[in-house]
Amino acid sequence: MTVKECYEKMGADYDEVFARLRTDERITKFLGKVLADGSYDLLCSSLKEKNMPEAFRAAHTLKGVCMNLSLNKLYVSSEKLTEALRGREDYGDDLLPLLDGVKSDYEAAMSAIKELVGA
Amino acid sequence: MKSKEKKKILVVDDSELNRSLLCDMLEDNFEIIEAENGMQAVEILHERELEISLMLLDIVMPVMDGFEVLATMNKQGWIKSIPVIMISAETGGAYIDRAYDLGAIDYISRPFDERTVKHRVASNFLLTIKQKEMSEMLSNQIYEKEKDNSLMIEILSHIVEFRNGESGLHVLHVQAITEMLLKELARKTDKYAISTKEMRLISNAAALHDIGKISVPNEILNKPGRFTPEEFEIMKNHTVEGAKMLENMTLRKDEALVKAAYQICRWHHERYDGKGYPDGLKGDEIPIAAQVVAIADVYDALTSKRVYKPPFEPDAAVKMIINGECGAFNPLLLECLNDISEKLKHELNVISFGDATESSIQDTVKQMLKDDAPDASDRSIRLLEKERLKFKYLADISREITFEYNSLPEMIKLSEWGAESLGTPIKIVNPLEDGEWTKIFPKDDLALFLHKLKTSKPEAPIVIERFQLNVHGEKKWYKVIGKAMWSDGETPEFEGAIGKIVDVNDETEAMEFLEQKAETDSRTGLLNHNAAKSRISRILANSKDKDKNYALVIFDLDNFKKANDVYGHLFGDEVLEVTAARIKENVRSTDIAARLGGDEFILFMEYKNTVKPLIDRIFKRLTVKYKDFDVGVSMGVACAGREDTEYDALLYKADTAMYVVKRDGKNSYAFYDDSMKNLLKNEKRQ
Repeated sequence: MTVKECYEKMGADYDEVFARLRTDERITKFLGKVLADGSYDLLCSSLKEKNMPEAFRAAHTLKGVCMNLSLNKLYVSSEKLTEALRGREDYGDDLLPLLDGVKSDYEAAMSAIKELVGA
Repeated sequence: MKSKEKKKILVVDDSELNRSLLCDMLEDNFEIIEAENGMQAVEILHERELEISLMLLDIVMPVMDGFEVLATMNKQGWIKSIPVIMISAETGGAYIDRAYDLGAIDYISRPFDERTVKHRVASNFLLTIKQKEMSEMLSNQIYEKEKDNSLMIEILSHIVEFRNGESGLHVLHVQAITEMLLKELARKTDKYAISTKEMRLISNAAALHDIGKISVPNEILNKPGRFTPEEFEIMKNHTVEGAKMLENMTLRKDEALVKAAYQICRWHHERYDGKGYPDGLKGDEIPIAAQVVAIADVYDALTSKRVYKPPFEPDAAVKMIINGECGAFNPLLLECLNDISEKLKHELNVISFGDATESSIQDTVKQMLKDDAPDASDRSIRLLEKERLKFKYLADISREITFEYNSLPEMIKLSEWGAESLGTPIKIVNPLEDGEWTKIFPKDDLALFLHKLKTSKPEAPIVIERFQLNVHGEKKWYKVIGKAMWSDGETPEFEGAIGKIVDVNDETEAMEFLEQKAETDSRTGLLNHNAAKSRISRILANSKDKDKNYALVIFDLDNFKKANDVYGHLFGDEVLEVTAARIKENVRSTDIAARLGGDEFILFMEYKNTVKPLIDRIFKRLTVKYKDFDVGVSMGVACAGREDTEYDALLYKADTAMYVVKRDGKNSYAFYDDSMKNLLKNEKRQ
């Protein structure tokens, strides 16, 4: 699989990321780091513990990562969740659909990346 | 660019991925230091402020966010020396504005574009370098300007001297002596209110004191023999001529330097007694600048070789001047001359042309930077850094536990030796919340100590406390001495503290041992009467308003004399020891037990509703047979009522009850009641 194909599979913008990061090697290297990034796990566990500030920071970090790698689809869903969490003090079930959105996009992205890096 | 020459950039972002992305983009040209939250960044800045050329800072981070970092950088003044570029996924205008308000110089939004990042970092980097260079340039310009001034003065004054046949050093000497005299004068009195700036001005102007001699014909000026009265008049006129030259400098006559030089030229031959020339001014009518230069001039003339005389020894010269052999001077200045006479000998020996100008110019530049530029220049930062290294070295070799306390961010820094002997890291961030640290230094004690420092006064900033610290698993006493650091200014602010922690365990233990020894009875280990009395008195005095019940028990051993007589004194001692042991086993730690002397003991205890079961139990435990000896006790008990606040009165009551027991056949106990009131008086003493 090429990097471009991987991006298509994730619903991400290859041309944009290539314009910024400039080599496939570098893009691949950082996609590999997304696999190791703990923000998604932190987001899930913080929400479970209803630690809202921590959940906000984790969602925010995830969003930032997506931005940097042009993972558009995951960016959109994590951005929605980030905004829902911003300044929020209490947990509510209305967050669940947003989290589900992030979850399915995240899993899709991860499986594509794993396929690319052969992990 | 070689790698060791790379400038350092601090990247602060909580996402490892983002950090390494930036690293990847920048590492060709810069060395990257990473911090994963604001607190780490501040710690790094504390340590390595001077190394860091630029900082990339995220906003949303755990522990300490980017705005807090900026606020801290403002408070510490780092924001002036380290350019900060914000990097954040936040795109809200309010966020950006706030970052700019707090001193950030640029903003890179995500997603990171390699060319943008490189370009922004490089251009901001260059910009800051420019600013630093410009401030260096500015100080160089000040330096150059001063150098020009000094140079002009020097040239002018040397022209005079060479014509005069004196050694060129005279001017430099007069300058140096003037400066030293002025410093000494300012130290002694504030009568003349001379600022450092004015001192510099006067000593520079002093070089011009004889410029009027240009108007004196060569043959008079260099005449080896005595002057005729007419010649002397011409000679004297160099004062007025010099002043005139300065006065005629229409363009610059208002400059402070010219004004000071005018005073010096015209009046450096006036005498304090009013008998000098040209104007016959008296006392402090003579401007202080001229008074000082007059004395400097005479001193150097005496100690230098002239065509008409050999040089005098410095001590002889000072003596001559003070004795009034060379004119009349301000007594205060004579004192100053006397005080600096030793220093003068050395100083004048080392003066040469180059040095004098160089050092005075450097002083000037330093002073100007201090006056005009509140930001520390690179040069002074380097000096500070040197001081810090010196301090660290001294702290390390002194083998003491020294510490620095920073209030923002809250942090304790120990000397290397200190950290080692306490078994902690050198740096403890947030010490009150640090579990490892508070295990060693109990949180409450630390909080108390910090509170005392923070509420100390700038005029009384020292706090000394004794604490029991838990060092390497052992509780030991330490004396903790701290000096609070207060900022200057009208409303001093607490900035932190420095101090040391001294092991006083042996000392404290020895004290405690002595105290304990003084309070206990050596035979039984119980308290002695005095100690018990003072403790009980204290409790009684404090119990007045409280709803507490106390009982005082006194007892002695029945037939103790017989035990001694029959079984010997050693056995008697054993009985006493056994009794004491039984007492210790059967009282609570809050009770007070003491041996009054002989075979008499007292107990003092608090009780809830009724005391009888307690007494009964103790009585039974005490009266157990020891070896062949039937231990019996006669025990009197007095319960302290509201009115019983005096120990002696209470003891008297218990004693009375004990007497009743003895009277009625011993080996029992009785409670005092008012019916016994006069018993002791009437019966016992019969």
